[in-house]
Amino acid sequence: MIPGNKDTRDGILFSLPFLIVFVLFMVYPLLFGFYISFFQWNILGTPKFLGLQNYAELFQDAKFWSSLWHTVQFVLMTTPVLLVMGFLMALLVTSKSPLKGILETCFFVPYIFSMTVVATLWAWIMQKDFGIINQVLGLLGKEGVSWLTSDKNAMWSISIATYWWTAGFNMVLFTAGIKQISKEIYESAIVDGASTFQSIIHITIPLVKPTTILCLILQIIASFNVFGQVYVMTGGGPAGSTRVLIQYIYETGFSYFRMGYSAAMSYILFVIIMAVSVMQYVFLGRRND
Amino acid sequence: MRNRKTAIYRILEVLLILIWVFPLVWMVITSLKFENEVVTRNFTFLPENPTFQNYIDAFQSTYILRWLLNSLIISLVTMAATFILDAPIAYAFAKIKFPGRNILFWAVMAGMMVPFQVLIVPLYLQFNSYGLVNTLAAAIIPRLAMPIGIFILRQFYEGIPDALEEAAFIDGAGRLRTFVRIILPLGKAAATTVIILAFINAWNDFLWPLIAINESQKYTITVGIANFQGTHGTQYSLIMAGAVIASIPELIFFLIFRRKIIDGIAMTGIKG
Repeated sequence: MIPGNKDTRDGILFSLPFLIVFVLFMVYPLLFGFYISFFQWNILGTPKFLGLQNYAELFQDAKFWSSLWHTVQFVLMTTPVLLVMGFLMALLVTSKSPLKGILETCFFVPYIFSMTVVATLWAWIMQKDFGIINQVLGLLGKEGVSWLTSDKNAMWSISIATYWWTAGFNMVLFTAGIKQISKEIYESAIVDGASTFQSIIHITIPLVKPTTILCLILQIIASFNVFGQVYVMTGGGPAGSTRVLIQYIYETGFSYFRMGYSAAMSYILFVIIMAVSVMQYVFLGRRND
Repeated sequence: MRNRKTAIYRILEVLLILIWVFPLVWMVITSLKFENEVVTRNFTFLPENPTFQNYIDAFQSTYILRWLLNSLIISLVTMAATFILDAPIAYAFAKIKFPGRNILFWAVMAGMMVPFQVLIVPLYLQFNSYGLVNTLAAAIIPRLAMPIGIFILRQFYEGIPDALEEAAFIDGAGRLRTFVRIILPLGKAAATTVIILAFINAWNDFLWPLIAINESQKYTITVGIANFQGTHGTQYSLIMAGAVIASIPELIFFLIFRRKIIDGIAMTGIKG
């Protein structure tokens, strides 16, 4: 194509800058982390080879299992609700309402705030003695709720803050999905006498299914990676009842400096997330066939 | 009948808007109150004597301005470096036929499946051995290895007709010149999406800067705000003032690029 074809040289030259960064800071740490997970590894001191001992210890570590369980709880508490909220928001945003533009901006705007700001704000709103929710409950003559200080409520409270923060993200994806459905399908449904509700059930929900799967997978992965909300709102408390897996990885590695053990836990998380990602390819791949 | 139904819908929508915006309004209202008006059982909604004292205190008693500046530097450098690194390789993947291209492409794309959390321990040890812990560079560099920008750019560059390039080659332009003069200008829309998302993700990053930086003057704004609660535990009006200050740059960024940000997410489905 080009005089004196230099495609090979050019291809390498154009790829090289990124590839160097990619190998140094993605491929290498990925392999290095796996290597570390077989050692007793502190920042100071000589690493000691343990074989599979870190992984064996993991399976008997009650804190690991409880952190993993809290993470799974958070995934279960957030994923279905966030999908439904995103979908309902998208219905409003794609409706004929004159307020749809304002609705879209309002629903989306929390997402651009950084998670630490959102978590700090909700920790204040849900504060036990002076937070606005309990103040208003007090004015109504009701007793205040221990939003963040009771082990029964804390994870739900963190989930509520998360709903407010990220539902708008799913709304954007659902809105894009709904807009792709052709108008003619709806028009012929109206001619056939279908109500708006029937159109949503029989047209929108089935046709938006690829988006639903995409949202589902992205949401599960994002929820598995939960950390910041918990760190700011409860610090994992009360009594460790909201400690999630990434927090335990973080504490093990950077408070107790047990890097090897921490790396072993990250690899378990990695395997879980990979399994979810692979499911994405299976499901989305089938759609493309 | 129909009018009444419409009116009910409108009222419900307005209510929804008010509920959704309320937490943000409450953040601002709290920040304008004196602390004794915040921590009291005599609940009032609006401040009796609105004050900016909390903002003055936030600037004077914390490093909040430094944190903002750090985050701004980190985000701007990440944004520029992401583009400089991602655009050429995306172009190579889209338009240059070199041996091993497909394998290389899939290897890089596989990097999208790696959750960053898996890398924190090895990356920390790596940066520690380079003596880079506690520097802004440590906060920036690992983000640059993420391949999502390449994915977006390559998809766009593939859509550019080969004829445009060939015409340039016939006119005697070399590969670099063609890339800079033809491909880059045509790919401006995709590039904007990539750098906006790079900026937002770098700005909102929390876990890695929390680990890589441990000196309070070098914190990013997200880490600074998270630690606010540790150091100013119960001064809620001051904490909310800090949260407002921390949000202003992002809010401005959002107001300017609202459409681009929303479309970028719709196109790629990237979650923070």
